[in-house]
Amino acid sequence: MAEKIKVDKLTFYYGATPAIKNITLTVEGNTVLALIGPSGCGKSTFLRCINRMNDIIPNTRAEGDICIDGKSIYNPKFNVTGLRRRVGMVFQKSNPFPKSIFDNIAYGLKINGMTDRYEIESTVEKSLKSTALWDEVKGRLDESALGLSGGQQQRLCIARTIAVQPEVILMDEPASALDTISTQKIEELIQDLKKNYTIIIVTHNMQQAARVSDMTAFFYMGDLIEISSTGKIFTRPDMEMTENYITGKFG
Amino acid sequence: MTTHLEQELEAIKSKVFEMTDLAIESIAKSIQAMKNSDARLAEQVLREDSLLDSLEVEIDNECIRVLVTRQPAAVHLRFVLAMLKINTDLERIGDLSTNIADEAIKLHGRPALKPLVDIPRMGEIAIGMLRDVFSAITERDAGLAREIIDRDRDIDTLNMQVYRELFSYMAENPHTISHALGLIMVAKALERIGDHVTNIAERAVYYIEGIDIRHMEE
Repeated sequence: MAEKIKVDKLTFYYGATPAIKNITLTVEGNTVLALIGPSGCGKSTFLRCINRMNDIIPNTRAEGDICIDGKSIYNPKFNVTGLRRRVGMVFQKSNPFPKSIFDNIAYGLKINGMTDRYEIESTVEKSLKSTALWDEVKGRLDESALGLSGGQQQRLCIARTIAVQPEVILMDEPASALDTISTQKIEELIQDLKKNYTIIIVTHNMQQAARVSDMTAFFYMGDLIEISSTGKIFTRPDMEMTENYITGKFG
Repeated sequence: MTTHLEQELEAIKSKVFEMTDLAIESIAKSIQAMKNSDARLAEQVLREDSLLDSLEVEIDNECIRVLVTRQPAAVHLRFVLAMLKINTDLERIGDLSTNIADEAIKLHGRPALKPLVDIPRMGEIAIGMLRDVFSAITERDAGLAREIIDRDRDIDTLNMQVYRELFSYMAENPHTISHALGLIMVAKALERIGDHVTNIAERAVYYIEGIDIRHMEE
């Protein structure tokens, strides 16, 4: 499998304090990487470095580099807007626009230059189908997205993300505010989406990491302690600290 | 809609079925080798046992992976636990077939003590039980699984019959002792195979109904 993302000695500072330290790892294309670790270990900071979302926070800086398809995204000439189209993000709390279900997805398409009505409609339909939402909403596309359930809103946000055909999807605890059934749907969806996308997911739920990911990275106090195949991390991790965390001895 | 977990369980089931076919084949071939004094066929049984061994390891690893990464519950959990144990029984059936094949090699070239009737019959019953137990799993038919367990008695009866008959041969003519002991070993191996198929049927009931019926007979 091809290497999609390569992180090389990445350190990220809030002020003078490094939130993540000297992280080196690679993510292969069409796989799911789960980031686990206790609160404040730097996993969300790390995630947000991958589409340079941290840029907007004042008094921060990154050292080291991240390459996507071999190109450095921290190169000053790199197009950050283009990066955020290629690297979509789904947040913990679903955040649909206060618009219709249809417009939530069509909006991103329009600002990316899609004008053909037919093309927009078919992309909206395709995105809703690939998030298993189409059958639930096809009769009420013009109703407000805010009327959907929490789980549906989150799937709409994922549909909105994939409509603009990103290559990588970052998910920051996408199911932590959802009930079991909605969570299960999101987890199934993640498995389906990896056929076409590379996914990195932050989760507080270790079992969820085990269920959805191919690779798991364990962060602690800003350090990457261990990264390995999910099967290995959860059956015979190399580091004692990883074992202690996943067996619930701390965290 | 089939979930990813269900797809993975299906893959485990296919592997267990593949292993069952191999186990059936190895019983059939080892009995055939005994009947026809065919040492080459017996050697084939010995060689092919490694296929069962490697499938056993593969299935164990798959089950462990599913347990840890999917955290199956209820019927899915019972399925994985049943497959883990059935896997071991199938591997043991393979080993017992190689014991029969070993005897076939030892007896090769020696004149037959008597025509083999009961031993092939035991083999046929065991193979029939093994075939049906997998229908029981596929169809989730606990009644069929229970019925298979009852058939093990026929194998036990035949085993005792073989033992008594060969014992009388040995008593009459001590020259037959080593040959007769070989046949007793073969019958014993088939009797053990019957026990393993019974175990598989019990695990099938556990998977289907969630009831542990082991040691409930008396």
